[in-house]
Amino acid sequence: MAGTGHTVKSYEEEMQSLNDNLVKMGSLTETQIAEAMAAVIKVDKDSVDKIVKNDGSINELRSIIDEQITTVLVKRAPMAVDLRITLSTLKISHDLERIGDLAKSIAKKVKPLPIDLPDELIGSLRRLGDLVQKQLKEVLDAYLNKSKDKSIEIWKKDEQVDDLTNLAMNEVANYLQSDKKNLEIATHLLFVTKNIERAGDHITNIAESLYYLIEGEYLEGARPKGKPIDS
Amino acid sequence: MELENKKIKIQAKNLNVYYGAKQALFNINLEINQKEVTALIGPSGCGKSTFIRCINRMNDVIDICKVDGSIEIDGSEINDKKVDVVMLREKIGMVFQKPNPFPKSIYDNIAYGPIIHGLAEEKNQMDNIVETSLKKAALWDEVKDRLDEPGTSLSGGQQQRLCIARALSVSPEVILMDEPCSALDPIATAKIEELIDELKKSYTIVIVTHSMAQAVRVSQKTGFFHMGKIIEVDSTDKIFKNPSNKMTQDYITGRFG
Repeated sequence: MAGTGHTVKSYEEEMQSLNDNLVKMGSLTETQIAEAMAAVIKVDKDSVDKIVKNDGSINELRSIIDEQITTVLVKRAPMAVDLRITLSTLKISHDLERIGDLAKSIAKKVKPLPIDLPDELIGSLRRLGDLVQKQLKEVLDAYLNKSKDKSIEIWKKDEQVDDLTNLAMNEVANYLQSDKKNLEIATHLLFVTKNIERAGDHITNIAESLYYLIEGEYLEGARPKGKPIDS
Repeated sequence: MELENKKIKIQAKNLNVYYGAKQALFNINLEINQKEVTALIGPSGCGKSTFIRCINRMNDVIDICKVDGSIEIDGSEINDKKVDVVMLREKIGMVFQKPNPFPKSIYDNIAYGPIIHGLAEEKNQMDNIVETSLKKAALWDEVKDRLDEPGTSLSGGQQQRLCIARALSVSPEVILMDEPCSALDPIATAKIEELIDELKKSYTIVIVTHSMAQAVRVSQKTGFFHMGKIIEVDSTDKIFKNPSNKMTQDYITGRFG
């Protein structure tokens, strides 16, 4: 969006490397969320260790980005769009790292799950997981294309994530009510549901940071919220 | 951040300046608020110094220079033939890039202006002006015991504050600063910037600077000049976080040309 490059080539390279690392981080986070959700849906306990281990790469990238941003701030005292890119990259990288952590937490809950979970329960988790994955993919694409309209669209769509979260929570409640022995499993599933929803919140944070990067202004007003449970 | 509704001290309207056949400023329209710092930025030769030299009619001394259009201070046209340039410059002090104390004592550097403008009749009145001016320029404590030493014996930063004190000695309303820190080290620069913060409570300040960081630190309003034209004027906050014009953005982010 800045058009012509910086007169100082190394500045240009530093900003490019920052962008590349953020994109790489986004792509890793997307994979982690997808694999964590697949592990839940298929109750695939074998994939858990790999997902837990891969979270380290995301954390490592966040540390690299933190370091790069400190350097850019000290060396370049970035102004205008460069300042906004720098600040937004810092915030987005932290949101991505948190999404990575949530993917890891989701995966960890798979091990105690039984393989015969009710279809309705699996179905509601799949719908919620699919929507969050779609939101993540779209926000990363919007970042690449610097799309203001997409950032607003994604920000607003978190309402649907909230609605699907409530439906999934209801399914977990039904599962618990059907047999009190399900308490432990239901607790794990509530955490899984809540973690997917939290990932959705971080995606809307990313949409907000992206909007600020593009417009130099903050998205105003309260985000639309889904209906509360049992309403 | 919205620009506050401040009183306009200086208003340039359709200002054009020519050096012989070459036009240096094109149709400049700019409002400078009272008791605020306005920073003018832009690449070398963009016309920002030419512009501030119009405010105290310094361009009058250049034979081939022709100024047309209007500059009003408190609503009065300064290019009017009836305006006494000496009186105008009493109202509008100027500080230059390189400190230029007179080859006189510290005391006489400050007393010179009040003497030629007839501002003090008695020695104690003059002593008072010298002390007050040096205090306002945050130099008094450093020089009060050596007022008879040459101004040129001071450090660069002190010399620049002496020049500011000299400008203040005739009680101006506006202070023009043309890259006042470009010859100073960071500590001396910080002292001048601290002083600018203090002075803006009482004076209207226009500063030309090549340092973006300085413009951000000291000013409330910033104007970006390019090739004799004013490209964008807005609150300093807006200019450096989210300028409206691509050319402004390219300049302040180091993408120019």
